[in-house]
Amino acid sequence: MPLLELKDVRTEIRLKRSTVHALDGVNLSIEAGQTLGVVGESGCGKTMTAMSIMRLLPNGGAVTGGEILLEGRDLLPLSDAEMAKVRGNDIGMIFQDPMTSLNPTMSVGRQISESVRIHKGYDKKQAHERAVEMLSFVGMPSPQRRALDYPHQLSGGMRQRAMIAMALANEPKLLIADEPTTALDVTVQKQILGLIDSIKERLGMAVILVTHDLGVIAGRADKIAVMYAGRVVETTNTETLYANPRHPYTEALFDSLPERGAESGTKLYSIPGLPPDLTKPPAGCRFAARCRYAQPSCREQDPQLTGETSEHQYACFFPVGEVERSAKAVPVTLTEETSAEAIPQSRIGEPLLTVRNLVKEYPITAGAVLRRKIGAVSAVADVSFTIYQGETLGLVGESGCGKTTVGKLLVGLEDATGGEIGYGGRDLAADRHARGAVRREIQLMFQDSYAAMNPRMRVRSVLREPLDIQKVGDKASRDKRIAELFDQVGLPRTALERYPHEFSGGQRQRVGLARALTLAPKLIVADEPVSALDVSIQSQVLNLMKDLQVEFGLSYLFISHDLSVVRYLSDRIGVMYLGKLVEIGPAESVYANPVHHYTRGLLDTIPVADPAVEKAKEDKGIVGELPSAIDPPSGCRFRTRCPAAQSLCAEQEPPLVEFGTNGHLAACHFPLRRFDGDAGEPAAVGEVVLPSQPDAIDDATESATA
Amino acid sequence: MTAYIVRRTLQAVLTVILVSIITFGLLHLLPGGMVRGLLGTHANPQSIAQLSAQMGLNRPLFMQYLSWFGNFLHGDFGWDYFKQQSVGSLIQGTIGQSMYIVGLSLVLSVLISIPIGVLQAVRRNTLLDHTLTFVSFVLWGIPTFLIAFLMLDLFVDQLGWIPTSNEIASFHDALTQPQAIILPVACLTLTSFAGYSRYLRSSVLDELTQEYVRTAIAKGAGRRRVLYGHVLRNAMIPMITLIGLSLPALVGGAVIIENVFNIQGIGLLTTQAALTNDFGVTLAITMLTAALTVLGSLIADLSYAILDPRVRLD
Repeated sequence: MPLLELKDVRTEIRLKRSTVHALDGVNLSIEAGQTLGVVGESGCGKTMTAMSIMRLLPNGGAVTGGEILLEGRDLLPLSDAEMAKVRGNDIGMIFQDPMTSLNPTMSVGRQISESVRIHKGYDKKQAHERAVEMLSFVGMPSPQRRALDYPHQLSGGMRQRAMIAMALANEPKLLIADEPTTALDVTVQKQILGLIDSIKERLGMAVILVTHDLGVIAGRADKIAVMYAGRVVETTNTETLYANPRHPYTEALFDSLPERGAESGTKLYSIPGLPPDLTKPPAGCRFAARCRYAQPSCREQDPQLTGETSEHQYACFFPVGEVERSAKAVPVTLTEETSAEAIPQSRIGEPLLTVRNLVKEYPITAGAVLRRKIGAVSAVADVSFTIYQGETLGLVGESGCGKTTVGKLLVGLEDATGGEIGYGGRDLAADRHARGAVRREIQLMFQDSYAAMNPRMRVRSVLREPLDIQKVGDKASRDKRIAELFDQVGLPRTALERYPHEFSGGQRQRVGLARALTLAPKLIVADEPVSALDVSIQSQVLNLMKDLQVEFGLSYLFISHDLSVVRYLSDRIGVMYLGKLVEIGPAESVYANPVHHYTRGLLDTIPVADPAVEKAKEDKGIVGELPSAIDPPSGCRFRTRCPAAQSLCAEQEPPLVEFGTNGHLAACHFPLRRFDGDAGEPAAVGEVVLPSQPDAIDDATESATA
Repeated sequence: MTAYIVRRTLQAVLTVILVSIITFGLLHLLPGGMVRGLLGTHANPQSIAQLSAQMGLNRPLFMQYLSWFGNFLHGDFGWDYFKQQSVGSLIQGTIGQSMYIVGLSLVLSVLISIPIGVLQAVRRNTLLDHTLTFVSFVLWGIPTFLIAFLMLDLFVDQLGWIPTSNEIASFHDALTQPQAIILPVACLTLTSFAGYSRYLRSSVLDELTQEYVRTAIAKGAGRRRVLYGHVLRNAMIPMITLIGLSLPALVGGAVIIENVFNIQGIGLLTTQAALTNDFGVTLAITMLTAALTVLGSLIADLSYAILDPRVRLD
């Protein structure tokens, strides 16, 4: 008997005028000790499935049909009081954002002990002891002291550990983790996923891992269910799913992954259109409208979840993949062209913007009446790089590494503490007048375009405002320009009269791109522009950014924590760590042949949508958490987390030196590889090279910064 | 924290001094001023000049202010020429009963508003919620004197539950005649609790949508525990500011209530002083109100920091 079984579960959410059919006949099962991954785009019903099991649906939401069997007992007829006994006791749950999911005014110790006080009837003292025990169980440093801390006093990773301790305090049989690492940094993500895995082993419990990230589940799940529009469309074990997806939706998801495009150098596949409106679900297969292989019959008949074996099931009449197929799938209409033409490489020109020794510090003050400076947060520390005309420079690193601050300094949203930003023969860091004059040539694209637009302005006004401010042309020519821009970003002109909230996430990023383009800039600083988007929509925006770059000769400074996205779009990649630029070079060289231990660690830490790769790199990656930028480590700032650190690293700051003729620079005393004439063969990982000739290195630095 | 308190106290003192300068200046700009108030509108210029000189009103305004402020610092609020009594003793004789009545109704308003606000939030958009909203708004909108007369008529004249009471002329009277303060306190409470209960209702509604509430339910906490263990405390935090800002009302008194229920309180004293250009009293009460206003907001900010561990004062 499976531990948990969902049979034909239907969940509806009643709104004022309509009903959302959030789940429409979901069938799932999970065995004890197993990890089930549930994936899909936002709105596909994966979170609703988790909430239906826990009966934590939003207002107006209810499970209207089917059975949810926990060890054979149906949870649906249970009263609220009986269900409360199941929650936190038989089934524990952790959520996406551990900051907002914890009560801000209650110590984490008390929040954990509450779990056992409710279910085990422990007294205060016993419960507190259990809380401390749980905190140390989830690897919290100094659990005695941390139990008394409030959530805001902990780092993101520690908060999620506390959440896990709370969910597991009663040793439940099943843990539901709803996007448990989406709000966390990649390095912390790996630690938390590893923790969930090891706890699962030790307690012998089952885990349902809900995520949108195909990389996260690749190395963690035993079995995967792919959901689309409130239904499970494909389910099988992890290896099979990645090797041989049978449902066209699953295939399309994989094809949208930027790492696929980066490897082949082609444009990304993007799933055309949007998921259906679940208040009025379409007849037939719900994916038919966006499917490459759809036949007329797909729009009339409903495919059932079936398959050649009970191990691999899919709901499709014309399955893709390799196993014996019932009917041959032929690609038909392609609403959005996915041409395989390679991106021309000859577009890169002269230096456009040159950053020299850029420094940004935020003062920390103290004192009752007279404020005096007692320290500084070193956000950007002596960073130098160049952006060339028509190129994309990717900037990666964990949050807090200073990549966003660099972007803000370039567009003039922050004043530099020191250094130069050379642009068009003027220094933007020192010369405020110059900044005003070139402001229109350097524009910003935001992560959350919705928050960045005035909600009470029509998109037409949002787009026209920069033209009005900079007094470009007359009214008619401004309107003409806006209409043309909308054509270029692929939005209908009629949508100009809409308000920002009337657009979907991907459309908003198109509007955001149009807004950045209104003044015909030469450089766009794009700060995490696709991080909030689903993978299929993300690929649309990335493709658009690439197209417009070729068309207008734009340069991008592309800031992201997602290495695969950066690799897909960038010509060169810069890696930042705690305010320092530690490595910079051609994208392929940095990716395939990293020099700095931090870059290597990042590459190992970021989950790849390939179970074989994920399983192989089990124990690699960066350990610990980012140190404080208030008093950064001496010498090399990465030394506290570096596997190759020696005493020299604490004494001397490593300079940025050349590691190849292709402009690949890195700052490390003990690099992963030596200077490489043609940057071809990857050097052995972990090889330590001592800088035998300090003079040579100094020369190299000079030639690098010259 | 200490540094914060020091800085805020200095700011508070500065604010109060600024208020005193402005009030002092404005009162002396009034046409005729206090002397005309004392001698009547038909007094001849000679006697006005004579009395002005006697009271030191012919000195430069700045000097007058300095001597007033010097005395004020020594606890001497000046001499009231109308009542021929020191301003200090006038305030002392009226402030006790007013603070008692207003303070009691403030506490009661908050105590009543908590269950009502929580109940309305939990049962939002039900008949109960709508009814309570209607009642609160009616009480909030009804003029105080009207409700006072209605209550007098009902409880004293019709039902006879409460005997007709004598004048309350001192704090002692207020303490020894509880039956006499029931109605004034009830009136003030009924007309003011809606401000708190409405605020708490929306505050609890806000908190109920927070994700930590979902976490609490997910660990198996029942309704009661979620509401009183998690939500209420967080919902009460923003209420602190509202309560802190009500403190000045303690020295402002309640003019209408004092009038209707025959209480010689500070509210009446203030109106009388204002009507007769009696600025010794007006100035002193303005100073007290200003001091309590800045004190109230300081207390609110400090309580914030104590109740909400995320708030750090520095």
